[in-house]
Amino acid sequence: MKVESRTVLGAFTFLTVLAIVYWVLVALHGSSTERSGITMLVFSFSAYALLGTYLLAQYLRRHGIPRPEDRFDATQEDGAGVIDYFPATSIWPVGMGLGMVFGACALVWGLWYLAIGAVLFFGAVFGWVTESDYTEDVLPGSDPDELAASHGDFASSSAHGDH
Amino acid sequence: MTILEERPQFAFEAHEASLMEIVPGPRPHGIVKFVTSTDHKQIGLNYLFTGLAGFLVAGLMALVMRTQLIVPNNHFVTENVYNEMFTIHGTLMLFVFAGPFAFAGFGNYLVPLMIGAPDMAFPRFNNLSYWLYLGGFSLLLAGFLTNNGAAQFGWFGYAPLTEAIHSPGPGADLWIVGIGLTGFSGIFTAVNIITTVFTLRAPGMVMFRMPIFVWNILVTMFLILLAFPVLTAAMALLWIDRHLGGNFYNANKGGQPILWQNLFWFFGHPEVYIIALPYFGVATEILATMSRKPVFGYKGMIAATLSIGALAMGVWAHHMYTTGAVLLPFFAAMSLLIAVPTGIKFFNWIGTMWRGTIVLNTAMLFCLGFLAMFLFGGITGVILAQPVLDFQLHNTYFVVAHFHYVLIGAVMAGFGGLYYWLPKMTGRKLSEKWGKLGFALLFIGFNLTFFPQHDLGLRGMPRRIETYNAGMGWNFLNELSSIGAYITAIGVLVNAWNIFTSWRHGEIAGDNPWDGQTLEWACSSPPPDHNFEALPPIRSERPVWDANHPDMLTKVGH
Ligand code: HEM
Ligand SMILES: [Cu+2]
Repeated sequence: MKVESRTVLGAFTFLTVLAIVYWVLVALHGSSTERSGITMLVFSFSAYALLGTYLLAQYLRRHGIPRPEDRFDATQEDGAGVIDYFPATSIWPVGMGLGMVFGACALVWGLWYLAIGAVLFFGAVFGWVTESDYTEDVLPGSDPDELAASHGDFASSSAHGDH
Repeated sequence: MTILEERPQFAFEAHEASLMEIVPGPRPHGIVKFVTSTDHKQIGLNYLFTGLAGFLVAGLMALVMRTQLIVPNNHFVTENVYNEMFTIHGTLMLFVFAGPFAFAGFGNYLVPLMIGAPDMAFPRFNNLSYWLYLGGFSLLLAGFLTNNGAAQFGWFGYAPLTEAIHSPGPGADLWIVGIGLTGFSGIFTAVNIITTVFTLRAPGMVMFRMPIFVWNILVTMFLILLAFPVLTAAMALLWIDRHLGGNFYNANKGGQPILWQNLFWFFGHPEVYIIALPYFGVATEILATMSRKPVFGYKGMIAATLSIGALAMGVWAHHMYTTGAVLLPFFAAMSLLIAVPTGIKFFNWIGTMWRGTIVLNTAMLFCLGFLAMFLFGGITGVILAQPVLDFQLHNTYFVVAHFHYVLIGAVMAGFGGLYYWLPKMTGRKLSEKWGKLGFALLFIGFNLTFFPQHDLGLRGMPRRIETYNAGMGWNFLNELSSIGAYITAIGVLVNAWNIFTSWRHGEIAGDNPWDGQTLEWACSSPPPDHNFEALPPIRSERPVWDANHPDMLTKVGH
C-alpha cells in the first residue's frame, strides 16, 4: 500500500501547489469573475486528499507487514486461500442499468419515465443486495473474521486481507 | 507453457465449487451470457465491439460530411443535417469509441489478466457500467429520430447556443443525458479498475512490476475521477437552464456563458489524455514484445505517465485563449510543459526499439503508424499552444487537422492492439495479409484526408461550415481530403472483414503467439473463467518472458 498511497498523495501535493499558483496569478492578473477554476482545483485536491489518507491509513494499519502483492519475493503460496467472491452471472445489473437509462429519459421526455425507472432501479437494488446475502452460506470463509482467524497474520492472508 | 506446469496452483477451488451451487447447471451462452455475465473478459469484449460499432456509425457521418465538402456550393445535405453530423460524429468518436474502447474495452479485458487477478474487484458493477454506456450510446443516436433532429451545437456545446431558445427540442437533451450516462459508466469503471489494481494483484506483482499498460490505465482512471464529475455537473446546470429556468449560462440574466467553457474544458482537456494514455500503454506493450526487449526506461515511462496525468489538470483554458478571459501566460506555459513528459515517452519508445529484433507484423506496423501520426499531431499541438499562433488558427481547419492526427494516431495504436490481443481473446490470429493491406489503406487514407487540412486552415477555411464558395482557393485541397476519406473507409472495411473472417477461420494462435512478456500470455487463449490455472513466479515486469527464457532473465534494478 506504500506505493499506492504515495502516488495519490503525490498527486494531491501537486494539485495543491497548482491551485495556489493559479489562485495567486488570477488574483494578481486574472479577471475577477473567474472563480470556477480555483473551485474545481480545490475539489480536485480534496478528493485526492481523501483517497490518499485512506490508503495511508490502510498502510499504517498493517504495521509494516506488507501484503503478498507488495513483497518482491512473494510466491504464489503466500497468496493462497480464498480471494474474494466473484459471481459468475447476475441479472440485476442490467435491471439497474435500465432503470438509470429510464431515469435519464425522464429528464428528456417527462416524469412518466421516472416511474418505470424507479421500479426497475429499486427492484434491481433489492435483488442485488439479497443476491450477495447467500454468499456467506455458500462460500466457506467469506466471513472476514473467519478469514482472519484461519490465516493468522496479515502477511499470509489473501489479497483482500485488509478488509 | 510447460514451464508453468509445476508451479503452485493459484487457489480458486473454493469459489469454483461454490459458484457451481450459486449458478446451477452449465454456464450460460449467447444472449444470456451477453446480458448477465460479470466476467471481465466478456464485458471487455462487449465494450470493444460496441466501441467499434460507434466508430463505424460515426465514420459514416464523416463520409457524409466529406461528401458534402468535396466540391464547392454542394447540396448533398442541408446545413442542419451537416450540423447534426459533426456534432454527433465528434460526440460518438470521443465518448463512445476512442475513450471507452481503450480504457473500458482493453482495460477490462487486460488489467486483471496482466496483474494476475481472477476478475475485477466489483464484477456486477462492471456489468452495470456497460449498460449505462450502451444506454448513453443509444440515447445519443435517438436524437436523430426526434422532430427537431439531433443536437447541432458541436461536441463541446457552447453556451448560449445550447440554451432552450437556440436549441429547442429533445435532441439537445438527449445529447446531455447520453453523455451523462457514458460519464457515469466511466466513473464506475474507474472505481472498479483502481480497486482492482490496488487490492487484487498476484503475490509478487508489486506496483513497480506492473506492465506499463496497467500503469497508464491506472492514471487514466484517476483522471476520470476528477474530470467526469465536473462534466456531469456542467450538464446538470445546463439541464436546469433549459428546463427549470435556471440562468447559469444565460448572460441576459446575469449568468456566465464562459462558466460553461471553464467547466467543460476542465473536463475536456483531461479527456484528451483519458483517451490518449491507454493507447500509449497499448503501444508500449506491442513495441516491447515486437522488439523482443524489455521496455526501455521502465520507471521513467511511469514517471512520464504520472506527470502527464498531473499536468493535464492545469491546462484546460488553452482551448479558450481567444475568449480573452483566461490567464494566457499560465496556460501557455503549462501546455508547453506537458510536451516534456510526452517527449520522454517518445524517447523511451525509440529506446525500446533500438537494437531490438524487430518483428514487422501488422500490430507493429500500426504502432509505428501511431508513433508517426501522434508525433505530428503533437507538433501542431505545440504550435496551437502558443497564444500568438492560436489567435490566427483557432476554429480553422488547422485545428481539425491537429486533433484528428492526435486522435487517429491513438486509434492506430488501438487497431494494433486488436491485432495483438484478439488472438488471446478469440484463440485465433488475424490474417497478416489482409491486416497489412488494411493498415496501408488506413495510413494512406488518414494522411490524405487530414494533411491537406493543415493548409486549408492556413488559407482561412473555418471549421464547421457546410459549404464554401468556389473562389477561395480551397477546392483542390477539399477534393483530396474527401478522396482520402473514401480510401480510409475502404481500409476500415478491410480490417472489419479481417476480424470477421479470422474469428472463425484464422490460424490457431496458441497461448503465447508473440512470445509475449506479460502475464496475460500465461493463460490459455481464450482464458478460462477466473483466468489462471497457475501463475509463473513474478520477479520482474516480464514474468512470462523470464519463465520462457531462463537464460535471458530481465535485469532488475533493486
Ligand atoms: C475516419 C476518418 C475520419 C474522418 C473522415 C473525419 C471527418 C471529420 C469531419 C469532416 C469533421 C467536421 C469538420 C468540421 O466541419 O468542422 C470532423 C469533426 C470531428 N471529428 Fe472526425 N473524422 C474521422 C475520424 C475521427 C476520429 C477517429 C475521431 C476521434 C477519435 C474524430 C473526432 C472528431 C471530433 C471531436 C470532431 C469535432 C466535432 C465538432 O466540431 O464538434 N474523428 N471529423
Ligand atoms: Cu487541451
